[in-house]
Amino acid sequence: MDHLQRFVSQFRSRVFVVLLLDNAIIFGDWWVVEHVLKLNDLGLALSLLASSVIAITILPWVSARYLTQPTRLIWQAILHIAPDTTNVPAPDLKRRGIGHDLVINLVSHVYQLASVVDSVEKTAAIANRDLHKDFVAKNLPLPLIVLDKDQNIVFANKAMCDYLQRTDGETSGQNIYSVLDLSFPSEETLDKWLQNATQNAAVTTKTWERVRLNIQGGTTTRRFDLAAYYNRSNPEGFETMLVLFDHPSYTQDDQALSFVALAVHELRTPITLLRGYIEALEEDLEGKLNEEDATFMHRMKAQAQSLTAFINNMLNVARIESDQLVLKLQEDTWQDIVTTAVNDVSLRAKIVGVELSAEIAPNLPKVGVDRVGIYEVLVNLLDNAIKYSGKGAGKKVLVRAVLNKEGMIETTVQDSGAGIPTSLLANLFEKFYRSHRSRNQVGGTGLGLYLSKTIVDAHGGHIWVNSKEGAGSTFGFTVLPYAKVAEEKRNGDNNGISRGAHGWIKNHSLYSR
Amino acid sequence: MEPTQNPSNRQVLVVEDEHFISELYVRALTRAGYRVTVEVDGQRGLELAKTDRFDIILLDLMVPTITGIEVLRALRSPNAKPLKAKIVITTNLEQREEIRADIEKQADAYLVKAEITPRELVEFLHTIK
Repeated sequence: MDHLQRFVSQFRSRVFVVLLLDNAIIFGDWWVVEHVLKLNDLGLALSLLASSVIAITILPWVSARYLTQPTRLIWQAILHIAPDTTNVPAPDLKRRGIGHDLVINLVSHVYQLASVVDSVEKTAAIANRDLHKDFVAKNLPLPLIVLDKDQNIVFANKAMCDYLQRTDGETSGQNIYSVLDLSFPSEETLDKWLQNATQNAAVTTKTWERVRLNIQGGTTTRRFDLAAYYNRSNPEGFETMLVLFDHPSYTQDDQALSFVALAVHELRTPITLLRGYIEALEEDLEGKLNEEDATFMHRMKAQAQSLTAFINNMLNVARIESDQLVLKLQEDTWQDIVTTAVNDVSLRAKIVGVELSAEIAPNLPKVGVDRVGIYEVLVNLLDNAIKYSGKGAGKKVLVRAVLNKEGMIETTVQDSGAGIPTSLLANLFEKFYRSHRSRNQVGGTGLGLYLSKTIVDAHGGHIWVNSKEGAGSTFGFTVLPYAKVAEEKRNGDNNGISRGAHGWIKNHSLYSR
Repeated sequence: MEPTQNPSNRQVLVVEDEHFISELYVRALTRAGYRVTVEVDGQRGLELAKTDRFDIILLDLMVPTITGIEVLRALRSPNAKPLKAKIVITTNLEQREEIRADIEKQADAYLVKAEITPRELVEFLHTIK
């Protein structure tokens, strides 16, 4: 109250001064007219009138401006912080004038009140947000993750933490790629999509099916569908939201694979032994067998070898079905691979009396292939060509490898067999498909071509067949030169491109582990 | 494929519980001049390997007491005394790619038994330095 009293007394003294000044002007005017100018009564009256007009117009105007200064300063301070007004500057409180202390005191109170209101609003907003988060965190049964613009996890709900077998503390604040080690069924991985979204979109969504989560370095995997939502202008930096949809049938696929893996193990042991015994007998009986027995021995050996190949085919088909076949495309010499495959089937060709030859163009560029996978394609095509060539003189299988017009390495396997009717060509690369006629004559399961197509597709090449009944068949496929794969590789990890049979791509291709 | 050293000086430890398979391997290896010790048990195989008198260890993954993976891990652990022996995994087990890659990193070679005959195995060992 001191400030107010001081203001009142300052106000009183200023008004007193003004009134005194007013009287002094009139009195002074009268004195000058009466004693110095010695004017008559009319002159005196006119002069007094003039001086009182001046006194009652100018003095109130000046004194009003001066006396209302505190009101103006406080008014300015209020407008300065009021939410609806703009461009009102803060009052200049350095200027000393009437009621200076009172003004400073009141203005500071105004500012204090405003800051209280502001903090109350903010607290309410935070409380609301936490309430929403808490509700989602506890009740949403779907695993959910929210990322900021740096792709760090701002929020993961309880279902997500349970799914990842991590605590919230081990999840929040971490980079998404250090928490989720994902593999995608298409070229568009999460990081590629996000990169694109942050550059080109304000709001966008995307879903993936059968995304694979690798847990503990891939010793365990889980699969689900993934939905992503991106919104650049979300408040609080909540830029991306990811929701996982668990799929029980995906788990069944994994179990089917482990069944096949077990069956493969059980089959391989007797085959190892059979092949070992055949070899041992062959060594010990060399030169002692008659021609027919030697042929039988040879056939036995070749059949055991193709059984090994078949088991590998079976396993790979199971892997394809459960999206677990991973190919690593690396730089390799095509001539080496083709020659190895030709040598490995030459025994079988010899047994059935097929003449097997290879023409490989010189100076082929290096290829970008998964050696194991593409070798299987070659062996499958060669095996088929040998099988379906039939028996008798003049049966030939020719392998050719050239660089085609598109700059791809094209390999063809041509046989002199019975050919395939046109009506059957369309289904040839389907699983378990075998032409009716071939069923009685030769062994096989109809997995080879399906597998070959899947592997060639995953390499970025294509596979085809040309055939005419009675004129033999030619199977061909292409693979990419390494230079083209290397382009892809430049954007990928350093250990070669990892691709699944359906083109599975690792999520964190941009992030080294 | 040229032998890098005279096989007769080379000691091979075969950790394999399938008797018929080890029998075939012993036959092929001794004929080629290797000196072979067979052990069917993982734990005892590990103890034998630690004596460091072998040049090559053929290690099956599915063996009793402790698995071949555990033997491999124990032999290749940073705390273990480094061995002169090359470790060749011989298995018919099918692994996930990631696990196989992990084993291949620690071992010197990884072979699927069904895919090679005993003679091919011997030829392969000749190439191992």
